[in-house]
Amino acid sequence: MKTRISWTYLIFYGGWLLLFVIAPLLLLLWQSLNTGSGHLSLDNYGQFFTSGLYLTMAFNSVWYAFLITLVTLLISYPTAYFISQLKHQQFWLLLVILPTWINLLLKTYAFIGLLSHNGVVNSLLAGLGLGSHQLLFTNWSFMLVAAYIEIPFMILPIFNALTEIDPLLSRASQDLGASKWQTWRKVTLPLSMPGVKAGIQAVFIPSLSLFMVTRLIGGNRVITLGTAIEEHFLVTQNWGLGSTIGMILIFAMVIAMILTRDRRKS
Amino acid sequence: MTETKTPIIAFDQVDLSFGDTQVLKDIDFQIEAGKFYTLLGPSGSGKSTILKLISGQLEPTSGDVLFEGQVMNDWPAEKRPVNTVFQNYALFPNMNVFDNVAFGPRLKHLSAAATKTKVVDMLHLVKLDDYADREINELSGGQQQRVAIARALANDPEVLLLDEPLSALDYKLRKDMQGELRHIQKELGITFIFVTHDQEEALAMSDWIFVMNDGIIQQNGTPEDIYDEPINHFVANFIGESNIVPGIMKEDYLAHFVGKDFENVDAGMRPNERVEVVLRPEDLDLTSVEEGKLVVTILEQSFRGDYYEVQAVDDDGNHWQVQTTNSSPVGERVGLTFDPEDIHIMRFNESEDDFDARLEQYEDEKPDEN
Amino acid sequence: MSKFKWSHLYLWVVFALLYLPIGFLIVYSFNSGNVMQGWQGFSWSHYQELFGDAHLLEIVLDTLVLALLSSTLATAIGTMGALWIDRQPRELTKNVLLSLNNILLVSPDVIIGASFLILFTALGFSLGFVSVLLAHIAFSIPIVVLMVLPRLREMNQSLIAAARDLGANSWQVLSQIVLPVIFPGILAGFFMAFTYSLDDFAVTFFVTGNGFTTLSVEIYSRARQGVSLEINALSTMMFLVSLLLVLCYYLIALRPKKPAAARRRRQREVNP
Repeated sequence: MKTRISWTYLIFYGGWLLLFVIAPLLLLLWQSLNTGSGHLSLDNYGQFFTSGLYLTMAFNSVWYAFLITLVTLLISYPTAYFISQLKHQQFWLLLVILPTWINLLLKTYAFIGLLSHNGVVNSLLAGLGLGSHQLLFTNWSFMLVAAYIEIPFMILPIFNALTEIDPLLSRASQDLGASKWQTWRKVTLPLSMPGVKAGIQAVFIPSLSLFMVTRLIGGNRVITLGTAIEEHFLVTQNWGLGSTIGMILIFAMVIAMILTRDRRKS
Repeated sequence: MTETKTPIIAFDQVDLSFGDTQVLKDIDFQIEAGKFYTLLGPSGSGKSTILKLISGQLEPTSGDVLFEGQVMNDWPAEKRPVNTVFQNYALFPNMNVFDNVAFGPRLKHLSAAATKTKVVDMLHLVKLDDYADREINELSGGQQQRVAIARALANDPEVLLLDEPLSALDYKLRKDMQGELRHIQKELGITFIFVTHDQEEALAMSDWIFVMNDGIIQQNGTPEDIYDEPINHFVANFIGESNIVPGIMKEDYLAHFVGKDFENVDAGMRPNERVEVVLRPEDLDLTSVEEGKLVVTILEQSFRGDYYEVQAVDDDGNHWQVQTTNSSPVGERVGLTFDPEDIHIMRFNESEDDFDARLEQYEDEKPDEN
Repeated sequence: MSKFKWSHLYLWVVFALLYLPIGFLIVYSFNSGNVMQGWQGFSWSHYQELFGDAHLLEIVLDTLVLALLSSTLATAIGTMGALWIDRQPRELTKNVLLSLNNILLVSPDVIIGASFLILFTALGFSLGFVSVLLAHIAFSIPIVVLMVLPRLREMNQSLIAAARDLGANSWQVLSQIVLPVIFPGILAGFFMAFTYSLDDFAVTFFVTGNGFTTLSVEIYSRARQGVSLEINALSTMMFLVSLLLVLCYYLIALRPKKPAAARRRRQREVNP
């Protein structure tokens, strides 16, 4: 009986692991080495690393992802911290989670209206005498929308890390003469770092590849690796080069994971 | 009344190892049906492991575990006629009190009516008649404890295994539960095997105690035997409080320690054999320096309600713990007195069997002496 | 209330920004004009338009069916996965399995979409509802595992020993003890999988053929062509549905406390 149950687990879950985790990765690798001639070669990688366009794009992707993560973190940490000090934490947390229940595309779509030439933001700017500007289809608008989308995913892990800290610790620290700021700096911040790292992981990696935000808000230009992959797979049909960029993105992702790994576990 | 000769549970040279660590060494014992047994020892001594071997959570590395003479090493846990009360109760949080107690009977496909009768009976036995509809998280620790007992008993086990069931309760509740468990055991007449690290609890409840340490049964016997005649340093120290000093058995009935000769009641050792001498604090009393068998200086005295706990030191530097009703100021020199039968002699490395053999011989000789 | 706090002001600003786009969408769904600029008065016209748009409603229905099916299957497989990982005796095996499990969770959507596209093409699988369903199941499984596994770890191991001790076989232990005890985790996993599916755009975009489309993909293509306030009306409806779902979730999640409280009330009424 016990073994029959185990076999069921193995067939379904193990089958999923093989077919949808391992096989796709191997196929992606194989495709990236495939130049269409039937031989495996590193040509696609060569093409990528000698092209100024792609190298700039790779740099931009990482740079934008970094900026998005930084902005998100700067907004989210205080938010998570203040919420953790409130009475009805669960209610406020619910308010943070709720926007994530709204379709990503709908939220992005809202910004088209907000940022468009005659949109609310421009009217506001005009009202303040700052004149109207081209907001939509700029790199800044892309980063703004990306940060907006990612904020809840940064707040949640930080909040969880903060609430896991024994509240007696900060009382003990203040009892021992630390100011509120010193307590935060010496006790709360170090103990909440696992949450910060989890948040960075949750934000940085998707930010590398948010292609529809780039398309809709960034002005249909290919400015990040995510857009490039979509372009090669669905527009130009150059799967080999698309897969190569995919592998490079995976590489970037692995580095990000290693840098933000929670060292206490190992 | 006829006694069945086959013990209900027996261990035959059981060893148990996890990898390189040997947890139980050559465990060999038999227990009779209908009695209250206690496995007593510090944590890590292997006492809970013995329970797991009986309940079927573990299998011996070598040797046999027998139920009524049949080897049951490979019987699955659910097929064994024993049930366990777990240390942390292990009540199913997804079920209320009734469903927890009814779990076993329902698995045995008892009818709804019979199940209900069983549950009601068991809840009555543990004095929780009105609690059938309660959720587990609404119960206090003591009540959860009772549910756990009722649940295990609802399966009509031949042997009930209790794994430190009282350790999480406060002192008063523990005292009450000790009495009740003993009462339930007598009422049902089934075998209880109780695991604890609390020697007081073991002495108060048991018909028979196994003292364990380092995966070995150090000594077994009635509570009186074990308290009065500890076989070695470990047992003497673990059961009750002890003053243990090194000494020599000059000859039968003459011990030498702290530089003096004392008449005593032990015999059967080699002349001038090196031994350990045990004197229980409650057997010692304070008296005047002249009348004392030893002279000590009081170091510390604390009031314990019905007696004083006195720490003293003799001129050789041996520490003595005394429980007395006579108060003495700290720093005062006083006499220490005790009777010959209060002196208990322990040989080094004497096994339980050797000990029993010598005890028998000495009990034969003892009438002549008196 | 008694004292002004900067932290509260900060929170108000953050939450205002967080809900500004959503409020904006909702407000303009009632605009009688046809664009998200310039308020021209209140009107239900976009809702009428929405309910008359059979094509869009069908897509909404398809999206919901897809989310329900994929999250149900992902929950079943993910729960099995968690049970399987949890019973691995060696810590190393557990960690390797868990790392493999998390690959899809941390991979960018584009990579998942692209690699699944290669997979389906390599298998000669035609793109459409089934390929999208399989893809959604596949990327929802790891989150279910992650929601269920901590519950299994927290579960007191002596519960299993106790059930066996009382005579339960493996299947009875699983169905009567383990699954009920970890149910909150399974439920959380189901809801996460459901949101993942509803929210997904990139993976669906890669693996869907011409015949099948989800709401995200539809909005994407419509938004590129030009903005229609019908979509705002739909957003508003979906926001309300989300709110309802969140409420349901919290009611179910808080359920264990409810019956007890209710019964105590009843008892008080019976014997005052």
